[in-house]
Amino acid sequence: MPEGIKASSAIQQLVAKGLFDRLPPTFSTFFYDRIQDWELLFPAEQSYFERLFGLLDRSEAEAVNQLFAPLREIERRMGVNDKTWNTREFTLAHVDFLNRSPDYPQWRQAVSGIFAKIDPILDEQVARHGRPRLVMVLSPSELPASPDRMWTRIATRGKRVAVKWSERQDFAALLTGTGEQSLARAYAATRAPAPHDTWVIEAGSRLAPAAGQGVAHLSYDGLRDYRTRLMDEVRKMVEAEDIRGPRQLGERLRRMKMPSARPEIDSMPVLADFTRSVLLNGNGTLLINNTFVEWTTVQAVRRARPSVVLISFGIRNKVKPFSSLLIYTDQDRATPIPTQMDTLGSYVDLEIFYQYIWSEFEKYPEYRHNTAYIFAADGMEEVLIIAPPDFPTLMTAKDPLPLENVHAALREWLSL
Amino acid sequence: MWELSKRRFLQAAGLAIAGRILPRRLLARPPEPRSGSRKVIIVTFGGGVRYSETFAPEGLRNIPRLKELRAQGFFYRTCANAGVLSHFNSTASILTGDWQRVDDFGFERPAGATIFEYYRKQTGSKATDAWAICTNKSFSPIGAASLRDWGVPYGAQVVLPKQLLIEAVDEVVKKNRDGGAANRENVLRQLEEILNEGYEGLGWTIFKAGRDLDQTVRATLTRSLVEYINGPEMPSSGDELTFFIAREVMREFAPPLMLVNFWDMDVAHWGAYSLYLQAITRTDRLVGMLWEEILANPNYKDKTTLLVLPELGRDGDVNTANGFLNHRSGDASCRNMWLLALGAGVPGGESERPVAHIDVCATAAAVLGVKTAAIAGRPMREIAGA
Repeated sequence: MPEGIKASSAIQQLVAKGLFDRLPPTFSTFFYDRIQDWELLFPAEQSYFERLFGLLDRSEAEAVNQLFAPLREIERRMGVNDKTWNTREFTLAHVDFLNRSPDYPQWRQAVSGIFAKIDPILDEQVARHGRPRLVMVLSPSELPASPDRMWTRIATRGKRVAVKWSERQDFAALLTGTGEQSLARAYAATRAPAPHDTWVIEAGSRLAPAAGQGVAHLSYDGLRDYRTRLMDEVRKMVEAEDIRGPRQLGERLRRMKMPSARPEIDSMPVLADFTRSVLLNGNGTLLINNTFVEWTTVQAVRRARPSVVLISFGIRNKVKPFSSLLIYTDQDRATPIPTQMDTLGSYVDLEIFYQYIWSEFEKYPEYRHNTAYIFAADGMEEVLIIAPPDFPTLMTAKDPLPLENVHAALREWLSL
Repeated sequence: MWELSKRRFLQAAGLAIAGRILPRRLLARPPEPRSGSRKVIIVTFGGGVRYSETFAPEGLRNIPRLKELRAQGFFYRTCANAGVLSHFNSTASILTGDWQRVDDFGFERPAGATIFEYYRKQTGSKATDAWAICTNKSFSPIGAASLRDWGVPYGAQVVLPKQLLIEAVDEVVKKNRDGGAANRENVLRQLEEILNEGYEGLGWTIFKAGRDLDQTVRATLTRSLVEYINGPEMPSSGDELTFFIAREVMREFAPPLMLVNFWDMDVAHWGAYSLYLQAITRTDRLVGMLWEEILANPNYKDKTTLLVLPELGRDGDVNTANGFLNHRSGDASCRNMWLLALGAGVPGGESERPVAHIDVCATAAAVLGVKTAAIAGRPMREIAGA
C-alpha cells in the first residue's frame, strides 16, 4: 500500500497480503482506488469494504476462484491485461474501456452474479443489527395537486393518514420539531451510532430549524455561492486549459479541490468531498434544486446509510430557452429574463422522485423492514405513511391526527 | 421597426440556407421532382427515450402524432440496441449496420462505412444528396467513416443547427461588444449580414472536428448571447431549429437520403421529468410536421420511406442507477426500443419479430437500391424493396 494511505489496519493487512492482486482487475481496481482516500469515505462505506474484503479473505480459495471464474473469462475476452488496464487507479478511461467492449453486457452480468452471491451474506450481517430508521419527505405547499394526486407511484405501499393543525402553527416545524427538540438533532445527539448518521437535505431553508449540531445539512439555496464559484471555476478551466472533451473535463473535475466556504461542511473532509462530488458529478444538481435534493439523497443513502433523513423539495424554476447550452452557467445571473416558478413541472418531477427515493432506501438491508417513511406536503391535510407493522398505531386512526401526535409517534419510533 | 417574429428570427438564422451552407457553385434551383427515385429519411429520437414514455400504454399520451401515424405504417415492437449505450455509437450503428465502439464525444468517425457513403459512391450522386441534421453537437464526424476508399468524399453534409445559431450570434456579439449587443434588431440585421458571408466560420460544421465545436460552444457562453437567444419569440429548443433546417434542406435540395437527429429529450440528464416529457411531445410534434412536409412536397410524396426510432432507451425505474436520468445500465429499458416505418413501400401492420438498430442501414440500402459491405445488420423484410 502506498505511503500516506490511512486505511484501517484490517484493509492494510489485506492489501499487504495481496488480496487485491488476486482478484480480477476490473473488480478490484475500482475498490482499490476508492480506499486510497480512506478519510473521504463514510463510516458505512469503510465498514462495507472491511466486511466485503474480509469475507473474501476468509473464504476458501477454491470458492473465491469459482466465484470470480466467469468474470475472469470475460476479462480475458475483453483483453484486460497489464497493458490495457492500470490496476492502481480507476479512471474514466477504465469506464470507457468497459463501455466500448462488445462483452460489456456479459461483464455487467458477471459482476451482478458475484454480488448476488456476496450480498446476501453481507446483508445478513447488517440485518442482524437493524434498528428503527426514519425518512421524511416534505414537499412545498405550492404544488397544484390535491392529496389524492400526491405520491401516486408509491401510495399503495402505505396508507394516507389525515392530519390537522392550527393555522397559526408551522406545518413543517410541527412534524420535524425544531432546535434541540428536532428529530434530527435529538437523534444525532442521543442515538446516532456514528457521525453522519443524521441528514437534512433540502432545496431551500424550510428545514433549517431542524438541523444543527451533529446533523449533516445540505441545502441547494444554502450552497448558492459555492455552486456559483464551482460553475465559474469549471468555465475558466475549460477555457484556459484546452480541455478537449467531456472525458478530460471529468478527469480534471475529479482533481479539483475547492472548499465550500461553509465551516459546517468544510470542517468535515468527508462531507466537503461528498458535497463537491454531488455538485460536479450530476449535471442537473448545479442547476435544478430538486435534482440536487434527489441526487444528494440517493448518494447519501448509497454511501452513508443514515438512520434519520429529513428531505425537503422546493419548486423548480422554469428553465429558460436554450439553456441546454448553458451548463455550468448560473441562469439567474446570465440572463435578464425574470425567473418564474414551474409549479406544475415541479409536481410532475417530484412524483417520480418520491418513487426513486423510496426505492433507493429499500435497496439496502439497513432500511428494509426497519424504516418509517413519512411523505408530507406543507399545508396538506393528508400524509402518506409507509412503515413496518411495528410502527406506532397512527395508521388506524379514524379522525384526523394532530401533527403533534405524528411527531410524538416518530419520537417514540426512534426511541427519543 | 423590424417586428421580431419567430418566423423572422428563423429566417435570419437560417432561411435561404443554401447560401450559407454551400459555396455558390453548388447552388442550384430547387430541384424538379424526379419520378421513381426512392428516398429514405431516418429520424432518431436522439438522447434516448424509454418505452414507458412512448409506446407503452401509459406513454401514448406523450406521443399523440406517432400514435396516430402508427396506424398508417409498420410498427416493430422490438428494435434492440445491443451496442454501446451512448449517443454517437448508437446513431453510428444505425448508419453503418455494425455495432460501433468508437469514441463517443466526436473525436472519431464511425469505424464502418455509413449508408451515406454506400449511397453516394454507388449512385454517383452529388454532395447535396445526403444530409445529417443533428441537434447533438458532438455529431459532426457522423456523416462518413474513417476508411480509405470511403469517407468524406462520399459522406453526408452534416449540419448542427444549434451550432449554426449560437456561433452566428457569437460572431455578432464579438464584433459588437461596444455597440449595444442587446439591441436585438441591430443584432439581427448584423446576423443576417454575417450569414450572407458564407458558411465556414458560422457553424456549418461540415466535417469539422468535434473539439473545435466544443471550443465554439464554450465561446458562446456570454451574457450577450444569452440575452439574445432568450428573447420571448425565439425557438424554444434546438430540435425546433433542427426541424426547420431539415425542412429547408428538403425544399432546397430534396436529398434522397437524410438523417434527422432530434435530441432535446436528453434534458433528462438534468433530472426534470416534466422537461423530459415535454421534449418527447415536442419531438413527436416535429416528426408529425416532418411527415406532413413529406406528404406536401412533390419531391418526397409517395417515394419516401420514413424510419423513426429512438437512438437508445434510458434506465428503468427499478434497480438502476437513477432511472430516466441515465442510459448506461444496460437493462431492458435501455436496450429494447421500437421502430416505426412509414411511407413508400411500407405496408400497414405490426411485428413481434425483433429487429435491431443495425438493421436500419441494410433496410435503407435495400430501399435505395444500393449494396452494403458485409455488415451485421439485415434488411427488414416487411418493408417493400428490402
